[in-house]
Amino acid sequence: MASLVTTITETLRYRGKIGQWSWVFHRLSGVGIVLFLVLHVIDTSWAAFYPDQYVQAIREYQSPLFTIGEFALVAAVVYHAFNGLRIVYFDYNPQLWHLQQRAATIVFVLTGIVLLPVFVLMFGHVADFYGEDREIAGLDELVRTQSQFLLGFIVIVVAALILSFLYALITGEKPDDEVIKRPSAIDSWFWSYMRISGILIVPLVFGHLAMMHIIQGVFDITAADHTVVGTEFVNQTGTAVEFVGDRWNYLLAGVAIWRVYDGLLLALVVLHGFNGLRYIVNDYANNRMVNRALNWAILYGGAALIILGMAALLAGVEETAAGIVEESITVVESSTFWFGG
Amino acid sequence: MKVTLRIRRFNPETDQKPYWGDYTLDGVEPTNSVLELIHRVKWEQDGTLTLRRSCAHGVCGSDAMRVNGVNRLACKILMDGIGVKDGDTIQLEPILGLPVIKDLVVDFEPFFDHYRAVMPYFVPATPPPADGRERIQSQAEREVFDDTTKCILCACCTTSCPSFWASGKYVGPAAIVQAHRFIFDSRDGAAKERLNILAEPDGVWRCRTIFNCTPACPRDIEVTRAIGEVKLAIKRAE
Repeated sequence: MASLVTTITETLRYRGKIGQWSWVFHRLSGVGIVLFLVLHVIDTSWAAFYPDQYVQAIREYQSPLFTIGEFALVAAVVYHAFNGLRIVYFDYNPQLWHLQQRAATIVFVLTGIVLLPVFVLMFGHVADFYGEDREIAGLDELVRTQSQFLLGFIVIVVAALILSFLYALITGEKPDDEVIKRPSAIDSWFWSYMRISGILIVPLVFGHLAMMHIIQGVFDITAADHTVVGTEFVNQTGTAVEFVGDRWNYLLAGVAIWRVYDGLLLALVVLHGFNGLRYIVNDYANNRMVNRALNWAILYGGAALIILGMAALLAGVEETAAGIVEESITVVESSTFWFGG
Repeated sequence: MKVTLRIRRFNPETDQKPYWGDYTLDGVEPTNSVLELIHRVKWEQDGTLTLRRSCAHGVCGSDAMRVNGVNRLACKILMDGIGVKDGDTIQLEPILGLPVIKDLVVDFEPFFDHYRAVMPYFVPATPPPADGRERIQSQAEREVFDDTTKCILCACCTTSCPSFWASGKYVGPAAIVQAHRFIFDSRDGAAKERLNILAEPDGVWRCRTIFNCTPACPRDIEVTRAIGEVKLAIKRAE
C-alpha cells in the first residue's frame, strides 16, 4: 500500500513527459472498465438465469447516474483502445521511440475527435428517453442494489485474505515482505497476450459499443416494436430480456453469431482485464500475504466470471424469451382480429 | 541575478522527517550550473548540506538529483538551460526509490545490486585470437549496442520509473541498459544467461513503456528503446 501511495503522490510531483500521463490514464481507464465488466457480465447472465433481475438491472442502467457512467465508460474504452495500440506499436518497434510523444498526443486528440460525434449520438438517445414521461430508478434503489456488488467485492477480498492467512499458518511461512516467486514464463506469456488480445479486442469492443451505446443505446433495449440491433427480430414486448434473447437466438447462416461474438469478447476481455488487475496488484501489494490473497481473488474471480458468462451464453434465454414472445404475438394477433379487421 | 534553492533536507540523526530548506543566492550567472549553486550554499551558508559529486562535468554520474521535478545531473544543468530568471526558485530533492542517507545523498547499493545481477561484464564467446590481437568487430556490429555503452550509472533513469517507485525489486532501466550493452555485443557469449535473468518476473516485464526513463538520461541514451529491444530478444530466444 505504501508503494501505491508513493507512486500516486510522486507521479503527481514528478514532471514526466506525456508518456507518464498516458500510463496514468491507461491504468485508470483499465480499472474503470474492469469494474464495469464485472457488473455487466453478472447482470447480463441474469437475462438467462434471473430474467426479472435483469429487467431491474437495465432499469437501473437507464437512470441518470448510470447514464453519466455510460459516457465515462465509452470514453475510457476509446482511450484505452487507442493508447493500447500505441503501446503495442512502440513495443514491437522500439527503434521508433522518438515518435512516441507525438503518438501519445495524437492518442489524446484522436480520443477527443472520436468521442465528440459519439457523445452527440449517445446524447440523442438520452434526450429521447428522458424527453418522455416515465418512471426512472431512484438513487435509493441504485444504492440498495449496487451496494450488493460492493459487498460482494469486499466479501471476496476478505475471504481471500483469511484463506491466505490460513495458508501462511499451515505452511508455516515467515511473515516477511517477500512476494511469492512466480514462474517467469507467465509474465512473458502475458506480455504477448496483453498485446495480441488488445489488438483483437479493439474491433470487437468497438463493434459492441457501436451496437449497444451508439446505434441503439441502453434505452432502446426496452423499446417495444424496435428492430433489435444486429438481428431481423422485432422486440415485441419491449423487455430487456427479449432484446438479449433476440440477439442470442439470431442465426446467420445457421450460426448464432452474437453468442460467438459475445463469447469471444468475454473470454478475451476478462483475461485481459483481470491480468491488468494482476499487474497492478503485483506492482503495489508488496506484502506476501496480501499479494497472494489478491492474486487468488483475481484468478478465481476471473475464472468464475468467464464461466458465468459462458454459461449464460450457452443456456441462452430461450424459455423465458420465447415464452414472452409467443404470448405477446398471441395478444397482438387477437387484437388485430378484434380491432384490425 | 538572485536565485533561491529549495532543497529537501534530511538528517537521520536529528530529523524526524524531511523538510524544505530555502537558500537565496545573489550574483548568480546564467552560465552557473545547479551544482555550483549547491556548492555556494554549502560553502557560504550551511556547511551541513550533504551531497555527492566527483568530477562535476557530467562524466562520473554521482550528482543525480531531482531538479525542478525531473531527474538531472546537477553539474550538467545551467541556469540558461532551464530558463531561470532573476528571483526564481529551483527545487532540489534526492532521486526517488533508493533510501535517503542524508539530504541529497541516497544509498546506491540496491541500484548496484540490480546492476551486478545482469552480469555487466564481457564474457568471451570465443578463445582469444591466435595472433594475440583483439577480437574483430565490424562497424555495423558495434553500431547495434553503441548507444548503451554511454551509460554512467547515475540512476537518473531507474529512479524516474514509476515501476521502480512501486517496487525496488524491479531490476530497473539502468541495469537493462547495461545488459543490452553486452547482449548485443557480437563478441559476447553470455546473452542467453542475461536474457534469462531479465525474463524473470522482476525483469523487463515490469516495464510498462511509460517512457519516463528516456528523457531523464543525461547521456541521451535511448533507454526505452534498449528495454524494448531486450524484450523482443527474449521473445525471439523463447
